[in-house]
This record gives sequence, C-alpha cells and structure tokens, in this order.
Amino acid sequence: MSLMIPTELSVIEPAVETAGLAKRYGRRVALDGMDMTVPQGAVYVLVGPNGAGKTTTLRILLDLVRADAGRAGVLGLDTVSAGAEVRAHCGYLPERQDAGYGWMKVQQLLDHHARFRSNWDAAYATQLVERLEVRDHTKFGKLSKGEARRVQLVMALAHRPPLLLLDEPTDGLDPVMRDEALAILSDHVADTGATLVISTHLVYEVEGLGDHLGVLKEGVLRAQLDRETLRQRLRRYTLEVAEGWEGVPEVNESIIRRTGSGREVAWTVWGEEGEVVERLKAGGATVRHVDPLTLEEAAVALLAMRENQNRIAREPAPAATQAEVR
Amino acid sequence: MLITIDASDARAIYVQIMDEIKRAVVLGTVKPDDPLPSVRHLASELRVNPNTVQQAYRELERDGLVYVRRGQGTFVAPDGAGGTARERRQLAGMVATKALREAYRNGLTVEELMEAIRDAETRWSEDPNTGGAR
Repeated sequence: MSLMIPTELSVIEPAVETAGLAKRYGRRVALDGMDMTVPQGAVYVLVGPNGAGKTTTLRILLDLVRADAGRAGVLGLDTVSAGAEVRAHCGYLPERQDAGYGWMKVQQLLDHHARFRSNWDAAYATQLVERLEVRDHTKFGKLSKGEARRVQLVMALAHRPPLLLLDEPTDGLDPVMRDEALAILSDHVADTGATLVISTHLVYEVEGLGDHLGVLKEGVLRAQLDRETLRQRLRRYTLEVAEGWEGVPEVNESIIRRTGSGREVAWTVWGEEGEVVERLKAGGATVRHVDPLTLEEAAVALLAMRENQNRIAREPAPAATQAEVR
Repeated sequence: MLITIDASDARAIYVQIMDEIKRAVVLGTVKPDDPLPSVRHLASELRVNPNTVQQAYRELERDGLVYVRRGQGTFVAPDGAGGTARERRQLAGMVATKALREAYRNGLTVEELMEAIRDAETRWSEDPNTGGAR
C-alpha cells in the first residue's frame, strides 16, 4: 500500500489548466512546475504556506506576470497570447489594494472600472454596494483594509464573470461582512454557474463552498483532488492500541498525520477504508471509529505531509461530476 | 422549517441537509405539498455551494421524499410526510449511532449506555425541566 494522493485531475474542457508553470524572482523560486486543473463550475480552494506561489499563480493566469516556463490556459484561451480577453472574462480580487486610485471617491472608482467592462451590470453593482455596505462617497485611499476589500469585491463581481480568481477574499473583513461575502459568492455561483478559484489560509470559511482542493507547497501542487475523493480516501482512524505499538508497515507509509499518544491515537491515513481497517486490526489495533476530514483538517494534514512522502503520486482522480444547478 | 448544518460534522454537507429535511418531515414541521426553500436561497443562507443543495434535493427526490414541479420548485411528497416508519427508523438509527460513538469514546459498553438512557428517561419524566440532568 503505497501513498498515492492525486495531483492530477482529468477533466474535459477545464476552466483553468496550467502545465509546468515555473517562475523565479531573482534567486527565489515561486513556482517550480505547477500543473493545475480547475473543472468548469468548480469552487477550487488553493491552499499553501506564505510564499508557496498562490498569488503568483493567479497573476500568471491573468497575464499580470509572465511565467519563465510552462503555459496556462483560461477558459480555453492562452493567457499570454489572449491576455486582454482572459482579463475581460475574469473577476479578480487581488491580494493587495491598489493605492494608485486612492484619490478617487469609491463611486468614481466604480464608474471608472465599469467603463472597461462592456458587460458591467450597474443594477447588480448597486445591489452589491448595498449588501456590502460600501461607503461610496469616501476616497478609496481613506478606506480601511476591510472597506477597500469590499469595494474590490464589487469590482470583481459586477460584470458577472464566468471565472473568479479570489486572493484571500475575506482578509481584513469583520465577521458580519465575511459572512455576507460568503453568501454573495454562493449567490454568484447559483446565478452564473461561475468557476471560482479561492486562495486562502482560512479554509474553514469556505468549508461549505469548496468542492476541490489544491495544496501548493514550494511551487508545486502536492495534492489536487475533488472533495468526494478526499472524503472517501483520506480518513482519520481512532485507535486503541497497546503501549508502544508501532503500527503495521503497509499502513505506516500512508499515514499523513499522527495525533494522540500512548493507548489512544488517531491517525490520518490515505487509502480505502476497508483495507486500512483490516490491516490495522490484523496488526493488533482496535479501531474505535473512522471519520472523514473537514476541508480544513484535510488541508492542514496535506500541508504537513513531508515532501518525499507523496513521491509516487500520479494517480488521476475520477472526473468531477458536473453541477446541474444552471 | 429550520435547517442547520455543522461544518465539523463527519457527515457530508449534502447528507446533513437531507437529514435535516427528513427530520422536519418526521416532526411534521413541513407538510405534504409544502415547498422547500429554493436551491439558491438555502445555499445562500447556509453559505454553501448551490450544487451541494442541489445534490441533497436530487437524492431526496430519488428517495421519494420530495417531488419537483417544473419551474416551481421542490415540494414535500404526499406519502413522504407524516413520519413513515422507515424515516423514523432512520432517524432513530442516526441518533443511536451518535450516542454509541460518544459512549465508545468514553469507554462505555452498549449495556451501560442503554441502562443510562433508561435511568435518564425516568429522571426526565419526573422532572422534564432539567431534562434529567444531574
């Protein structure tokens, strides 16, 4: 039983697909062969430690920075040769607020932004401004971080883009606005069937929205899979064992995370449940219960996984089931 | 009808939504031919992916608990409501599994748990206000 966490998704006509993306900033390696696949209509949660390359990835998808190697396709378009078109079809919430327009009043800024968007929906923009309680007569530069974030959210959504790239979307928002922002994203998916890529450290916030997970570390995707595969294959086994029990070799190599100590332990293991339970029992453990992980727990476990642990990972996951909402 | 979900619950979110609707049907808080909230509305209220709500409704439809009227929404099936024996058994099974898991976690046997439930019930019937709590 070797550890084979999928890093590839096989999808027909993905919304986003990158192959071998590499990017260096001086001597620092931001991306080192990033292969990402986001199915149409997915809510893809991209996690990774600071500096893992999440922001660089999103910026390459919009051709705001160029990759040193590899290629990226967005909605069937090449990001380098059709950058402007790609940007027109995307809504982007950047990590940082752009202070370049700080002198503009918020309403002015929105009007200015709308002029670049032929499909800007003014009524929807007004509705978003109200829901997010945006103060539209204040200068953008005078806004707090959270207020600026809300303005940026309006700018990212109001042209109802089929693809949303959100970099830490709830960063700086107070709890009420964070909650409202999540409801707005849910509405956006229901109304447009849009694909979302959300880069975040706060995975629990998107627990209900996310249906795909990408784990980016040191410029490479260590895992990339849909929620159902994650639920089925990555589980926590709560065990009662003899003091000093060392496990079973076939299972040990698939352990992603160990918690507990002494006679009561919980192991997070990748594999088919029946098989894992059988092996643990045969090895002398009493299996108390087996639980699937939340998206947050799965992200933490996979991020903590050692680099050499998922070396054989080349098992394509089954194609994601498509939504029927639209 | 009040539908709540718990992100830390081991059940998938669509299963939680199904269970909540089944519970409402068994309790009678929704009656036959009552509409369920729209997919968009419920997803927005729960801050979940609309596809998840859609999946829950689809499975409920397959189980015959609800029916879809084109362009109008999803409704409680006439014979799905009122707490049929099967739904009640499923509900009881769910509660039992939860209790049993908690018992095992605390090193209790099934017998000890059953005995404690009977004791608690006696205390409950004597003083429902405290819910039998010691």
